[in-house]
Amino acid sequence: MAETDTARSPREHTGAGRRRSPTTVLTAGGLLFVFATALIGPWVAPHAPTEQVGMPFEAPDGTHLLGTDVLGRDVLSRVLHGGRVIVVSSVCATIATSLIGIVVGLWAGLGDGRFREAVVRAVDVLAAVPALLLMLVLAAGYPASDTAVVAAVALTTLPFSVRVVRAAARRLAGRGYIEAALARGDGTLHLLRYDVLPNLAGPLAADAGIRLVAGVHLTATAGFLGLGRGAPEANWGRMVQENLPGAKLTTAPFLAPTVLLVVFAVSAGVLADRLAESWGSDA
Amino acid sequence: MSQSIERRRFLRATAGGAVAVAAGSAFLVGCSDDGGAADPAAAPAGPKRRGGTLRAAFVGGGAAETLDHFRGPTPMDFVRARAWHGALGNLDPAAPDGVRYGVLEGIDVSDDLGTYTLRVRPGVRFTDGSPVTARDVLYSLAGPAKSSPLPVYKMPAANFDFDRARAEGDLTVVLPTRKPIADGRLILCQGTFLVVKDGTTEYSTRTPTCGPFKLTRFDPGQGAAFVRNDDYYGLALGGGPYLDGLELRSIPAGDARAGALTGGQVDFAHDLPPVTARTLEADGRVVLTPTASPYLVGLSFRMNMAVKPFDDPRVREAFKLAVDREGMVKTVLFGRGTVGNDLPSIGFADYARDIPQRAYDPDRARQLLREAGAEGMEVTLTTGPETPGMVEAATLYVEDLKKVGVRAALRELPAGQLFADFPAYTRLPLAASFHVPVPALSSYQVTTAGGAPGALGWNRPDVDALVGQARGERNPLRAQEAGAAAQLAMWRDGNTVLPVFKPYMNAASRNVAGVADDLFEQFPGFAQASLQ
Amino acid sequence: MTMLRYVIRRLVLAAVVLVLLSVAVFAATEVLPGDAGDVVAGVDASPEERARVRAELGLDRPAVMRYLDWASGAVRGDLGTGFVGRRAVADVVADRLPNSLLLAALALVVAVPIAVALGLAAGMRAGRPLDRWISGVTQAMVGIPEFVTAGLLLAVFAVWWPVLPQVSLVPLGASPLHAPEILVLPVLTLSVVGLAAATRLIRASAADISATPYVESARLNGVYGLRLAVRHVLPGAWGPAVQALALTTAGLVGGTVVVENVFGYPGIGRELQLAVAGRDIPMVQGIALSLCAVTLVTLLIGDVIARLIDPRGAA
Repeated sequence: MAETDTARSPREHTGAGRRRSPTTVLTAGGLLFVFATALIGPWVAPHAPTEQVGMPFEAPDGTHLLGTDVLGRDVLSRVLHGGRVIVVSSVCATIATSLIGIVVGLWAGLGDGRFREAVVRAVDVLAAVPALLLMLVLAAGYPASDTAVVAAVALTTLPFSVRVVRAAARRLAGRGYIEAALARGDGTLHLLRYDVLPNLAGPLAADAGIRLVAGVHLTATAGFLGLGRGAPEANWGRMVQENLPGAKLTTAPFLAPTVLLVVFAVSAGVLADRLAESWGSDA
Repeated sequence: MSQSIERRRFLRATAGGAVAVAAGSAFLVGCSDDGGAADPAAAPAGPKRRGGTLRAAFVGGGAAETLDHFRGPTPMDFVRARAWHGALGNLDPAAPDGVRYGVLEGIDVSDDLGTYTLRVRPGVRFTDGSPVTARDVLYSLAGPAKSSPLPVYKMPAANFDFDRARAEGDLTVVLPTRKPIADGRLILCQGTFLVVKDGTTEYSTRTPTCGPFKLTRFDPGQGAAFVRNDDYYGLALGGGPYLDGLELRSIPAGDARAGALTGGQVDFAHDLPPVTARTLEADGRVVLTPTASPYLVGLSFRMNMAVKPFDDPRVREAFKLAVDREGMVKTVLFGRGTVGNDLPSIGFADYARDIPQRAYDPDRARQLLREAGAEGMEVTLTTGPETPGMVEAATLYVEDLKKVGVRAALRELPAGQLFADFPAYTRLPLAASFHVPVPALSSYQVTTAGGAPGALGWNRPDVDALVGQARGERNPLRAQEAGAAAQLAMWRDGNTVLPVFKPYMNAASRNVAGVADDLFEQFPGFAQASLQ
Repeated sequence: MTMLRYVIRRLVLAAVVLVLLSVAVFAATEVLPGDAGDVVAGVDASPEERARVRAELGLDRPAVMRYLDWASGAVRGDLGTGFVGRRAVADVVADRLPNSLLLAALALVVAVPIAVALGLAAGMRAGRPLDRWISGVTQAMVGIPEFVTAGLLLAVFAVWWPVLPQVSLVPLGASPLHAPEILVLPVLTLSVVGLAAATRLIRASAADISATPYVESARLNGVYGLRLAVRHVLPGAWGPAVQALALTTAGLVGGTVVVENVFGYPGIGRELQLAVAGRDIPMVQGIALSLCAVTLVTLLIGDVIARLIDPRGAA
């Protein structure tokens, strides 16, 4: 890691020069690769994800570069098809969480009152619910629904977003921007657009990064546990579960989705960390 | 093999007093290559060694598991009960009545097929020392079964009129039938009917039982430990149990059961997924012991005749012709299976063997769909991992359907969900199912006849009548004819695609012997098993 | 505010939260498809039989009444009876929860010392290469799902190089501690996740403390290394760290669901999954509520200890 900076307290990062460190480039590359695989993959896959092309658990060879899976389907094709649901679900959940988090967090952070306090407390209640617990209960209620998975992820990560945004908004409010703007007679929307959001962009991006990591974690676990849209849809999480029993016969079908999930989680995590550091948020 | 000699001696001893009724022979299986043949490699020569504790893994439930087998749906629940309680008898194609008697010494059938007389074996005792009586047998058949959620326990009441049943003395039960039936012995001695003491409602390690083993410990969801019941009636007849102890462990995941076997955590693993079984083939320490005919499970797809276009017989035939049965046996079951002919109960005596095997004919299927105006129809097949191979077979079937121009999609539900909402299941247009090994006709009457919800729109009084006629017929030839006619109608017009039968793919350590000698080998009771 | 008053206030708050969660759990399970009556009556039951079972179970009564019954029972420690097997839900929880807590506790025993060491090392040198390495690696680890870790460990130590059991079969009638080998892989899996999360939280509070004038002046006076950590940073970082660990522990409760599922370990998480699959509604409700309660109590204990250590800390 190319590090030249001297000791600083974590609150004083400027962040500017660090964006292009090798680690950042590497992880950004990793994340791009995973997104590309997930989003473009379905168009370039040589076979349909459900098509049976050989005997189960054949080792990789010239025709099937990653071998065949538990049902004799082409692992490469399934890998190319199986990321979309995880990427899209976790991104959707992150967007939903961020939007709700911004609205509730700003509303609660830029004002006072018992009602606002009560709403924040109510959202906080969700933090006491283990995410998987909520996911299992919702998935049981709406079997085979990806929306239920997204909802569970969004709901369980929401309290953290609200806290972060609210804290950032509070800090902002304490600095007098808002009073000054209000004194100028700016409207609320104008205020949000030109004074509040630009100043919050950093913490919000950092927070979204962290939510994305949690989202990947949870949506992949949902796939592994067989929640969300069921087989035969390819899903990296489920592929790990499907192909683990064949790990003794051939490792590629089990390792391929595992590696992709690790790359996704690690690069999203490290990038989020960088973002958080740059913007001085330790959420 | 000395084992089979020993077994035959045991059979003669148990079946000795039985009066052979002509009808009984109609239900014998033609070939009898079961039994010893099922585990050739696993059975070392020589007499069975006594002693040792065998550990076996089955699919079980969670902490909510119960000792009450009338309420327990898992293989574990039933196997535990088989080790703990004495059975009335088991199906045995090689025996004169088609059954090997257990707690019963024999069953006499009246000439009009209207009354069955069950004779309780004298000298069978519960573990509290009290004798097993006719009242206990009657209670076990009619008491808790009434409120059982499991379909199998409704079988006796569907065939026998328990309001008029009575115990005569200590050792005789008289059971009038609802309609004359010739196959009542096969129903009562399916191996599923176990004897508990009259009035038993709560079960614990202190409950008096009359099975081969005594329960010493029960940890719901984890397992049960047993010791040999030295007072078991079978010992006096020269059979097992040979083991000192038995430990049944609950392991829901199939590959985990295999892992426990190869890791030496258990000696016997039940019902492994086909691909897991393949990984075991290379392992010299374990032997695969797939069950033999008729103990095979049919994997099927049910078309709902209440949903268009499955009301059209041409569409149904097309869906049957579209499936590549050989391919399915090869890829899903790695060759360890039998091609099905769209009828359940293969290998049982009342199975219609002479109906020609349906071919794989995608061209004809496409043509039929065209004629029916169902070209390019859309359909979703719903399945779930209820038994190993089920999802795999459904995945292949969807691909087969696509090849004949059907726009088929697969929906896989998580384990335990497929049949959980049964009314919803009966509304599915195309649903996966599986058929446990039971004789064809008696199970048809309970599950399918009269337009039952589980029949998915199949309602044919003429076929119901043929089945009733076959079961009430004393002349075996005529019974066979009527039964075959009924099954031909189901084969031609029915709504079931049944492409493959799979064995229960069990596996055991090399030193385990005699598991299959206990009969009903799909759910082994271990009464005749030994560790060599 | 005295300590006692603080604890009482927090207890009341936790109780209110638990009541809210109980409503949520009850409402969420009410939306399960199909009908509980079917589960009990059996798949081929007639409509009349279903109706009888529904009446017997009280399912024909309004949901509010059923909730009040359930909630008042829960207060007395009676969580109702499971549909499958008719076993008392409270018994199942009492049976399995200790096993899960054991897993979580062992994972903490493994993870906490390492997390404290790493967290202090990183936090005291915030922004330096060591910190950046530790932060980066732990952040990467936090995102890796438990099942991926578990799958890899399983593949390596139980399949390719089979030195540890694939299934966590607890000896009948004994504690899981009687067969330590079955605990290795589950505990290791949980530790990885817990370690990463705890390290990050401890690092954050250590960094904050290190930046205070108090620690700066100690540094200027020539106090370094372990001495600085133990004497000056740790006492200040302890409070937030304990809260952080409570948060980690609460997170482990969720992780056990996956780990127990992968290794077939007889804990409460596996029971929950079985209950969801078998649509055993009272069981789902009871287990979900118990898990919420465990999480709340863990967080509460964390807050109370943090306050004992540092009475000025935030409530």
